[in-house]
Order: sequence, then structure tokens, then C-alpha cells
Amino acid sequence: MTRYALGPIAALVLWELIARGLAGSFVLAPPSAIAVYLVENFGLIARALGVTLGNAAAGFVIGNCAAIALAACAIVWPRSDAAIRGAALLVFCLPLVATGPILRVVFGPGPWPQIVLAALAVYYTTLIPLLVGLRAVPSDWLDLLRSYGRGRFSALLHVRAMAALPYLVAGLQIAAPAAFLGAMVGEFTGAERGMGVLTIRAMRGMNVEMTWTLAAVATAVAMLGYWGIGAIAARMLQEDPPVILAAPAALKGGGLGTAAMVAFLVVLVWDVGLRLLDLNTFFAKGPLDVFDALALAPDARDTWSILLRALGETAVFLVPGYFAGLVLGALIAMLIVLVPSVAGTAMPIAIALRSVPIITTAPLVVLLMGRGAAGTMVLVAIMVFFPTLIACLHGLRQAPSRVMDVMNSYAAGPLQQLMRVRIPAMLPAFFAAARMNVPASVLAVTVVEWLATGNGIGSTMALSASVSDYDLLWSAVVIVSLLCVVGYGVVGLVERRVLRVYAPEQLA
Amino acid sequence: MTVAVQCEGVAKTFGASVEAVSPIDLHLVAGQTTALVGPSGCGKSTLLRMIAGLEVPSAGTVLIGGAPPSQTLRDADLAVAFQDPSLLPWRSVRRNIELALDLARRPKRAEEIEQLIRLVGLEGFADARPAELSGGMRQRAAIARALSTQPALLLLDEPFGAVDELTRQQLAQDLPALWEARGTTTLLVTHSVSEAVMLSDRVIVLSPRPARIVADVTIDLPRPRRPEMARDPDFGQFTEHVFAALSKGVADTLPKAAQ
Repeated sequence: MTRYALGPIAALVLWELIARGLAGSFVLAPPSAIAVYLVENFGLIARALGVTLGNAAAGFVIGNCAAIALAACAIVWPRSDAAIRGAALLVFCLPLVATGPILRVVFGPGPWPQIVLAALAVYYTTLIPLLVGLRAVPSDWLDLLRSYGRGRFSALLHVRAMAALPYLVAGLQIAAPAAFLGAMVGEFTGAERGMGVLTIRAMRGMNVEMTWTLAAVATAVAMLGYWGIGAIAARMLQEDPPVILAAPAALKGGGLGTAAMVAFLVVLVWDVGLRLLDLNTFFAKGPLDVFDALALAPDARDTWSILLRALGETAVFLVPGYFAGLVLGALIAMLIVLVPSVAGTAMPIAIALRSVPIITTAPLVVLLMGRGAAGTMVLVAIMVFFPTLIACLHGLRQAPSRVMDVMNSYAAGPLQQLMRVRIPAMLPAFFAAARMNVPASVLAVTVVEWLATGNGIGSTMALSASVSDYDLLWSAVVIVSLLCVVGYGVVGLVERRVLRVYAPEQLA
Repeated sequence: MTVAVQCEGVAKTFGASVEAVSPIDLHLVAGQTTALVGPSGCGKSTLLRMIAGLEVPSAGTVLIGGAPPSQTLRDADLAVAFQDPSLLPWRSVRRNIELALDLARRPKRAEEIEQLIRLVGLEGFADARPAELSGGMRQRAAIARALSTQPALLLLDEPFGAVDELTRQQLAQDLPALWEARGTTTLLVTHSVSEAVMLSDRVIVLSPRPARIVADVTIDLPRPRRPEMARDPDFGQFTEHVFAALSKGVADTLPKAAQ
């Protein structure tokens, strides 16, 4: 117990000392000041936290129920699988910051935009593990059921649901901090109450204590959610929830056909949905309006030049940050594994840090690094770093113990084991992290640009929302989502090539 | 070079109370093949792992040629073929064998590797990845890997479990010839009595957990032993003898009430 307490205590003391050293530079609040601020403003923060928690919880329930329903549908009706995955990915790639204002004009004032954003932030990370889990059933079991004349529904109820439970838990665990993050992003983009609103206020007012206190509270709450679900799971399940590496589905001969079908479906749902909701066409732009704005309108060329310039600015921060996060995550995971005495304590700390809703710390990064390029890149890198570190640590330690026995029987040293067994065994996890980090890094970069830097596509979306240029806003959302899907697909293709060599069993 | 193995009072207890191996004295004669036979879960694999230096005994000492196993491991003078083939899935059969040679700091001679692959009947599969092989073929690849470094001490942990009968008979002829030529000290863990008698100079019978030695049978059948020998009355006597010891060991360990 003392061993686990020592690290955090040392970190707190160091933090306190550094913050005191930097006093007056308006950057870092010491833990003591955070505690004082928390006590003095307890009512304010508790009320805001209550609002945000309520929205996050509602979004958590809605998003996860949607994920469970979609997954069940894909299993009972296998033909819908490709369409469900495709549409889900596209929606997952929506830039949440820009979705916020659109939802706000759709729903009007109230908590619904935040709730929907929280739901959007969680459903994908639940859906994908669940689909893997529902299929992670030995085919013998299914044959057994079939030999008793039972069909897909009984298979789903009796066998698949139970087999998928650990995967569902793994998804829910990640969903808890993600829901909080989604709700806060919703509040960033214009709400009346909640932690996100206070954060914006603190940032505008350069209130260092308040910013740090809010980030600390948000982090603590998200971590509690993560640990809480983990603790419930540990009581319910025999085994640890698996770490999900779900390989991307193959783009077989019908891949392009499937993509076209998914695109058609999404456009159809979008168009029909807007008509059914009967929204004001001033802000509710359908697919035809976006096509018009990007292709036919007299100012289409201007729209493109605005978007391309903004995207170029974003790419300059996004791409280096993304790769820096990946490389650092993998390297540090390797270092940790090389020093076994560190590995034991590093894993729980790393997992705890993964549950930090990084986005909610965006204001801190802005405080620390300023509103320039460095801050943006650092935030993207941090956003990518933690999931990569966890995945790589897991991958590195996943090397089968039996293979390690062989290595030991030749007295192979730690470096040999790392190079010859652990790193190859890590590659699937690394690429899975790289793929899932594409949307995450886009979210990070757009949030910082929206909140702080005034550069790039995030800022363009913020501006277009504030001047009610909804053609431009919807066009930006479409383009960013598509680019994000393409990025995800490209990493997925590389991943499949790697898996074919290093983990062929995952490509079943 | 041949080495003898000396286990003095070697015991293993897992956790607080699970006694896997009760104190055992066991001497493996240099250049001989010794089989460890016992019922499933009796601790014979644990004993093998302690000799291999992969498991630290709770009591007693293991000496290989007078040195502790860690020394033998460092000199790469020992190789283990595990029950699970434990091949690296991203390397072909050939490259899996080369890995062992690399780790043992032995030269990689293409001709010798080919020969080994032929010996275990994997001709034409040198460039296949483990996923493309059957369970028995993977086990044979693991055996080839264990043989590749020409270890002085070879430890085989039920390496023929998934190998088909015909191939097993072939291996039972070829492998002892190779060990004899190299002077390899071999320890074979198995639960097949006839396999133990066919391959070994000596069969040690272990009781159910915690393992202790209930019989030590010298198999002085002539070599080379051809598959037909399995129908030989002498062979039958040895298997009878070992089997009787095995059954007695099980019966003695059962609680009296259950009999």
C-alpha cells in the first residue's frame, strides 16, 4: 500500500514546489491553492459538477444502449454488419466541437446537445469491443446449439451475450471518462451551466487556480468512473476485461461497394432526418446544401480555399503531434518493460492516466504552453500518448509466457527478449492504438483550435458557427469527418498488412 | 561433451500449500536417455522446469555437470522442447530454428538446418509459418529447434503429444540415434508408458502429486530399437513393470476410504 502511495505523494510535493517556484507566472497552481480554491468555491463547483455528471450519465446510458442494440443487430442480421460498422465509424469521426453548435441550434437551449455529444463520445468504443466479444465464441459452442435445433437468437442469448460480457465491460470502462469528456466538450461550445462553462470562464479570466481546480476535479471524477466500473467488473467477472485490439474488417472485393452503400445510407438518413425534424433550413443544411456549397455555388471556390487553408494549418500541428505521441508511447512502454521493477507500478499509473479526459486539460496546456503551435502539438501528442502507451505496454507483456520460457532456456537477456519477441508481439496493439487515435487526435486539435489558438479548421468552425455561416460549418464537418475516416482507413490498411505477418489469427 | 544431472532433495511448493514435488533425489547418467513417467498433473513438468533452471526449487539443489542450471543456461548447453511448441508465429520454421542458434551464439549453417528439418519430417515446410502447420508439425519444428544448438542436455516435455503415430515411430528411431551420436543427456517427460520404454535407457515412475519416485526401471533392451520391438515379450515385460509401478503409485496415494 505504501508503495502505491509514495509515487503520488512525491508527485504532489514536486508539483507544489515547482508551482511555488513559478509563482507569479500565471501558469501553474500548486495543489495547496487548488485545495483552498475547492473549499472556498465548493458550492459553485459542486453545482456545475452535478450538471455535467447528469449529462454525462444520460449520454453514457443512451450511447451504450445504442451500441448494444447496434451490435445485437449486426450479429442477428450479419448482412447489416458492414453498414453498421461503416456508419458508426463515420459518426465517430464527426468533429465533436462543430457538432456541438449544430446540435445547439437543433435542440435549442438545454442539456440535450451535451447529452448527445456524451453519447456520441462513448458509443463507438463500446460497439467495437462488443462486436469482437459477441464473435469471440468457440465455433464448437455454436455448433452445439445448432445441433439442438436452436437458431441465432438463442445463440445470442445463451452463448454470445455471456462471452461478450468481459468485452462489454472493457468498453464501458473506457466509456465512463469518455462520456464526461463528451459532456464537457458540449459545454465548451456554448451551454448555460456545467464544468465546461466554468472552464471557459476561468480561461477567459486567466484564473489559474480556477482552471487547475476544474481540471483536477474533472480528472478525479473521470478516474473514479473508470475505477468504479472496473471494480464492479472485477466482482462480476472471473477474468480481467480484455484489452481490445479489434482488427479492422477486410476491404474485400465488395469493399468499395460497401463504402458506397454506407455513404448512400448516411446521406439518406441525414436528408430524411432533417426533413422529418422539419428544421429551419437556415441552419439545418442537408447533403444537397453541402454539395451545393462545395460544388455549385458561385462562392464554392472561396469556400474551398478557406477550408483548405484551415486544414493546412491544422495538419501542421496535427501530424507531428500524432506521430510524436505514437513514437513516445511505444518508446516509453519499451523502457518500462526493460526495467521490470518499474513495470509493476507503471502499469496501474498509466491506466489511471488513460482515464484522464485529456481534452478537459486543454486549458492547462494553453496556460502552460501558450496559444501557439507548441501548445496544440503538445496536446495532440498527449492525447495520443496515453492510449498508445497502455496498448504497447499491454502488447509487450502479452508475449506468451511459453515463448518466454524458450527465450529463458537460451538465457536470452531482457534486450534480446524485447527485440525478438516483445516488440513483434506488440505491433498489433500498437497499430490498433494508432488507428483509434486518428479520430482522437482530430478531436484534440479541433478543440484546442476552437478554444484557444484561433488557427486551423477548429477555429474556422468556431468562427462560422458564431457568424451563422452554416453552409461553411456543415461543409467543414463533412470534410473533416471524411478525412478522418480516410486516415482511419489508411492506418487500418497498414495494420492489416502487419497483422498478416505478426498475428494472422486476428484476421479471421 | 556429456553432462550428468544431479538433483538432491529437490522440492517445489507453489503458494503456501500446493506441494507439486516432494523432495526428490534424481541422478541422470551422462549420455543416457531417462524418461519421467507419471499421471497427469503429478509435477513431472515442474521437475523438468527446475532442472531447466526455469523454476527455482523451494528446497534442494540441481547441478548440471557440477554447475547450477543458470550456468548451463548461459553456456546455452541445454535445450527444452515444450509440450506447447512455442514457436514465434511471425517466423518461418527455418527462422525459428535460426533464432535458437542466434540466441545460443552458434553459427547458422544452412545445411545443418536443412538436415534437422528433414530429420523431423518437415521437408518442404522450412519457409512455412507456424499458423500454416498442423499441431504435430509445430511440435516437430519445436523439436528441431531444440536439437539445433546441439545441447549437452536435452529436456523434452511431452513433445510428441500431437504427433501422429507413424511420424512418432519414425522419430522414436531417429532421435535416439542422434542423441547417441552426440552423447546427449536426455530427459523425456511423458505419460505414455510404451513411448518411455521405447526411447529410454531408464524409466523413472512418479506418484501423483506431490511427485515422488515410486520406481526406477533400467531398460536394457538392445539398440537400435525398431518399431517391431513393441511386440517383443521383453518389451512387454518392461511396459508391464512400469505400468504396475504407475498403478501402484496411484493406488497408494488415493485416500484409503476411496478404495
